[in-house]
Amino acid sequence: MKNKKHIFLILIILLIVVFVADIFTGNAKISFSEGINALFGTSGNEITDEIIFNYRLPKALTALLAGSALSVAGLLMQTLFRNALAGPDVLGVSAGAGLGVALLTLLAGTSLYPAIASLGSMAQVVVAISGAALVLLLILGVSARINDSVTILVLGMIFGYVASAAITILQSFADPDSLKVFVTWTFGSLGAVTWDKMPILFMLALGGIAVVFFLQKSLNSLLLGEKYAVSIGLNVKRVRLIIIVITAIITGAITAFTGPIAFIGVVIPHFARSFFGTVNHRTIIPATLLLGGILLIVCDIISQLPISNRTLPINAVTAVFGAPMIVWIVLKRKKL
Amino acid sequence: MTSIIQNRAMFTFTLFLFLVVTFGCNQKKHQPADNLSTGSSGTKYAKGFQITAFENYKRVVIYNPWDADKAKPFAVYYLCENDSISVPDDGMRLKIPLNSMVVNTFSYFEFLRQLDELDKVIGVTDAPRIYNSAILQKIQEKEIQNLGDPFTPNVEKTLMLRPDAIIKSAYAQQDTYNERLLNAGLPIIYSLEWMENSPLARAEWIKLIAAFFGKESVADSIFNDIESRYIAKKDIVENLQQKTTVLAGDNFQNTWYVPGGKSFNANLFSDAGLDYFYKDNAESGSIGLDIESVLTQFGSADFWFGCEADTYDELARKDKKYLLLKSVKNRQVFNNRRRTTPSGGNDYFESAIAHPDLILSDLIKAVHPELLPEAEFTYNKPLE
Repeated sequence: MKNKKHIFLILIILLIVVFVADIFTGNAKISFSEGINALFGTSGNEITDEIIFNYRLPKALTALLAGSALSVAGLLMQTLFRNALAGPDVLGVSAGAGLGVALLTLLAGTSLYPAIASLGSMAQVVVAISGAALVLLLILGVSARINDSVTILVLGMIFGYVASAAITILQSFADPDSLKVFVTWTFGSLGAVTWDKMPILFMLALGGIAVVFFLQKSLNSLLLGEKYAVSIGLNVKRVRLIIIVITAIITGAITAFTGPIAFIGVVIPHFARSFFGTVNHRTIIPATLLLGGILLIVCDIISQLPISNRTLPINAVTAVFGAPMIVWIVLKRKKL
Repeated sequence: MTSIIQNRAMFTFTLFLFLVVTFGCNQKKHQPADNLSTGSSGTKYAKGFQITAFENYKRVVIYNPWDADKAKPFAVYYLCENDSISVPDDGMRLKIPLNSMVVNTFSYFEFLRQLDELDKVIGVTDAPRIYNSAILQKIQEKEIQNLGDPFTPNVEKTLMLRPDAIIKSAYAQQDTYNERLLNAGLPIIYSLEWMENSPLARAEWIKLIAAFFGKESVADSIFNDIESRYIAKKDIVENLQQKTTVLAGDNFQNTWYVPGGKSFNANLFSDAGLDYFYKDNAESGSIGLDIESVLTQFGSADFWFGCEADTYDELARKDKKYLLLKSVKNRQVFNNRRRTTPSGGNDYFESAIAHPDLILSDLIKAVHPELLPEAEFTYNKPLE
């Protein structure tokens, strides 16, 4: 127990360290003292202030939120479906969000333009959340009729495939520029969340995470199988509904603001279980939150490394750089 | 007990983040500060912008090509020569002439060269695909910075350059890069010339960029020159009796994109005296066709422009169906790759916009070499 406390303390310190490191990493050379001044007042240089305070800080916060929230959403799905491969996107919610954005990209040049333009840069967020919500409604409709998690999982994946197919059809109609705009969205970006969007992201993601803490006991019961959970008096149907809604809100909100971010949500829960040697959600939920946040922030730092002046797509960095880290740890411990 | 402590630690951390966000929401923004019109210089062909001169400043309006009612302009700029002049606050204020700029669209290099302002470029995107040798050299000498991908340029590097303005292609969507730059007080000049449908209208955008350097009269004379040369070329083919038929575009992943009837290329074909299958179509963008439609509609077209291959062998290797086209059988296929760089730069995508007379001349030269015996190809190259 004491050992666990120490690990958590180390993880929190590590999180703070990488968070600060993320704020001080970027293409613009900014000294530590300039950065500190920009964070807590002004560095006397408005461009430095802008980069540190209005670009890097929200980006680091987004990385932390997205990493934590997607990981915990993945954990919920793995526990609910008792499937090691489940992740936040298995319900088809991310594909729904993608469908929303693909529709927007294609319709932006049509007579719907004034309505879209009036939303400004929130348009993408609004359509992505709508797309995710649509898939969520479908899933809820299905779960009201079907009392079997695996069937719901399969149907969720089918909804995802249909949404992806619709995206492909839309893409085939799109002109090359719109296509590039959409493809750029699918790369994922942590830098797209400005301060005026941050409160919405915060409310949705943190709201979802807060509910997860209340589900600890129910999640532990589900680990032993739905039948057992029913036998100890758990309202499985209700818990399942809450888990699905929370996962969809978290995944929909994060995907809407950052684009799809793969890998993290599937791998971090395994990593957390292996790291702490337990499946108890009391430990695993905070562990997943911390590890997810840390890993995505580290990925953001890596994506800033200067490679021909480009910022690497975060969606690729998570897998390309995240996977070797995880494999190395697994090899060392001989087991996930 | 342990779990309570863990949760408390999480709670404290969450609270800290909430505080950061709440106090972080106070962004720093800039706001500009009113006069009588002294005249408006209308454009002859371009529909996308207007420049109006007032006593102390100029008002430049870029219209919104996607907004059918033209209710709200895409952007409004107030250009003044000194800081003490107050301007209306419905637009971006810029001090002219501009001393430095980031150019995010290839089509402005030639305008700037014609205006003798190319040395004001301090940042570009997509450097490997640039053709302009003066720009390339300055990139090598590190006098011009490459800011990366044109769709997702490096925000921090752009901000650090502190250009007086950024020229950037505008799309029907707001992007976060623009939002970032505007929040930091950097003005963006939206490049929307690509939405114009006639070669002369696109070339007329030189007047827009000239206003930002106070060089309107220079731009007027450059444009008038180009216009008269264009019209002279057009007059040569005006009275041709027999119309040559033409195919355009190429096959990309089983969709062949051909220009719509109201598009730039369709207008160019019409001016070159060519007969284009979709000339009466109402589309101003491109039309995606499958290979079967192309073979039935364009199979007997005499000429093919804008092919994506360099040789007839390459065409045959790509797809044997190409060989069914009359233009291929008769070896009348042209690409736009006369001026290219090994890393992918192509001058057709850079300077052609400023030289509609040369694009027109290339087409006429290809189809009726006898009409332009002295002319050389500028952008077009016959397949080998």
